[in-house]
Amino acid sequence: MQVSKKIVVLGHFGVGKTSLIRRFVEDSFSDNYIVSIGVHITKKVVEISADDSISFILWDLEGTDDLTLIRDSFLLGTHGVVFVFDVTRPSTFQELSEDLKIVHEKITNVPQLIVGNKVDLVVLPELEALLKQHEISVDFLTSAKTGGAVNDMFMKLATLLTSHA
Amino acid sequence: MLDQFKQQYSNKTIQFIFIDNQGGIIDSDQAFLQIEKEGTVFDIHPFFECLSAISEFPEAETTFNCVNITFDKVDYTLDIKVVKKKNGVLIVLQDLTQHYFSYQAVAQSRNESIISSELVVLKNLEMEERERFKNAFIQNFSHELRNPLTSIISITNIIGDTDLTTEQSKMLDFLKESNTNLNLLLEDILSISMIATGRLKLNNNIFSLSRLLELLEFTYAAKAKEKGLEFNLKSNIKIPEFVEGDRLRLFQVLTNLLDNAIKYSERGKVSLEVLFNQKMANSISMRFQVTDTGVGIPLESIPQIFESFSRLENGQNQNGTGLGLSIVNGLLTLMKSKIKVESAEGIGTVFYFDLLMNYPLQLASKPLPKSTSKKKVKIKPPKNGRKFRLLLVEDDISVGLVLFKSLMNTKHFYIDTLNDGAMVMNQLVNDPYDIILMDVNLPNVSGDQVTKLIRSFPFKNIKNIPVVGITANAYEDDINSYLAAGMNAVLSKPFEEEDLLGTIFKFLK
Repeated sequence: MQVSKKIVVLGHFGVGKTSLIRRFVEDSFSDNYIVSIGVHITKKVVEISADDSISFILWDLEGTDDLTLIRDSFLLGTHGVVFVFDVTRPSTFQELSEDLKIVHEKITNVPQLIVGNKVDLVVLPELEALLKQHEISVDFLTSAKTGGAVNDMFMKLATLLTSHA
Repeated sequence: MLDQFKQQYSNKTIQFIFIDNQGGIIDSDQAFLQIEKEGTVFDIHPFFECLSAISEFPEAETTFNCVNITFDKVDYTLDIKVVKKKNGVLIVLQDLTQHYFSYQAVAQSRNESIISSELVVLKNLEMEERERFKNAFIQNFSHELRNPLTSIISITNIIGDTDLTTEQSKMLDFLKESNTNLNLLLEDILSISMIATGRLKLNNNIFSLSRLLELLEFTYAAKAKEKGLEFNLKSNIKIPEFVEGDRLRLFQVLTNLLDNAIKYSERGKVSLEVLFNQKMANSISMRFQVTDTGVGIPLESIPQIFESFSRLENGQNQNGTGLGLSIVNGLLTLMKSKIKVESAEGIGTVFYFDLLMNYPLQLASKPLPKSTSKKKVKIKPPKNGRKFRLLLVEDDISVGLVLFKSLMNTKHFYIDTLNDGAMVMNQLVNDPYDIILMDVNLPNVSGDQVTKLIRSFPFKNIKNIPVVGITANAYEDDINSYLAAGMNAVLSKPFEEEDLLGTIFKFLK
């Protein structure tokens, strides 16, 4: 059986949301930064068992450092959230708890993953210390460039969506 | 007829699609998307799958702005309006691709600029952090070396006062020379650290430039002769005898340049020239120029020579840390000047800088200030032959022992020793002292804090005891803060025995 699930991918601009989706859907990566405006929607079907699959409808929302500006219509019917930040730019995660509070006000009761992207550009122990200093717990540290943990992250989301249903 | 023309010429940017509640397409005016009318709306693009949850939409009319879709290999950016109707759903697509394209360009430029500036700030912070670490390391390193060096210098002097064989005397001379070199190296490291941390302040005073040049000529003519080189000093006749500036730092700049010139020249000559540039009402611009006939510097290596700890691999095995030119560069920047260099490999190098200095108009009416250079303190023991009670407070055993021995050798002191700042006040209350010699960096209560306590004590016999501080912190602002705490004098480690005794006797009657 195939179920369709709408996932919104959000976070500040330039954190690599589009790159993460491209890596997951097309298994490709480009170093060129192209600003996403509005929303881009892509689809990928993932088999979660011999009989079951999930059709991810991935809504790649325009990045913003003010999450209150996200259009409510984009969030209608959302089944899951991926919040992405850039591990190389503290401005994208310094206010994480405030950002997540805004997200929770807009989208309630759905599985959510917090993802630190661009992990290929930092030294892991230093990053872990930095995240600890900011009291940030992340679900996944990914690299859209190398593909590190990208599939794992979406598969984890698939599992959460299945159990949530 | 008109409807036909209208359809042909009107701008087809709005498309109407009507679907049933299951997503099946009932009708479409095909304004710009040529969709299959027999299919479902979900076949057009994944966006429309959200309409499967339309029953959960809170409003009768919902707008989705700026939705990017690709249809028939064409990219569109649309505003999409979804309107719940009695017997289905009306979808209104407005093609705003051009409009959003220009918005995208603005957003691209804005975001790129914000990200770049964020990354620049982060890079700067990282560099500052590294610089801070480096300077803290240099400071600690310099501090830690001063204590053992003080002991080595003092012990060397004590050994020098004993009966030695000729061979032992020769070895002791080598040891003294090594001590001096090590001390100079420490001073260089300290200068670099002070320049980098902004702690080095210029101390401008009126001084005799001609005497400074004479001293340089005297010193470097001898050094050049030792290496079989010629040394020339030329000073323009318009250069005033007295100028206002930091004599010590100018001396440091010129000695560094001259040391290098002699070091890297195997034959020929080294010259120092002071040229006249321009004279203003009460200031003069001069060019200081050091020329050598040494190995020269490859053009591409010139920027590198002013970096700390950089020495060029030029085939010559020269000693040194590579700090000299970095110090020159830093000091001249402080003096609002800039070092310049011209060099030709195998021919020689010219280092020069232009310096604007004030000169006094009415020198005769102004007493000359004392020179800021480090002067040896004269030892003047009191003539009455009296012995003094001295309290020595030092926690470093090796330094304490050397100080104790130096003081005892004079036969002018009864000495008590302590190694903890917290014990000093109790000792002063119980025993009278003529002078206190105290390290600043003491356990429990620091030397400067103890001095503050002494100076605020209600009884004059304690309150007025002279306190001579000793410290491995050689920064000027540190020393000033110890003096401000009430110390009468501060000796910076390492110091010579004659400096120690000269300073102590200055406060004893």
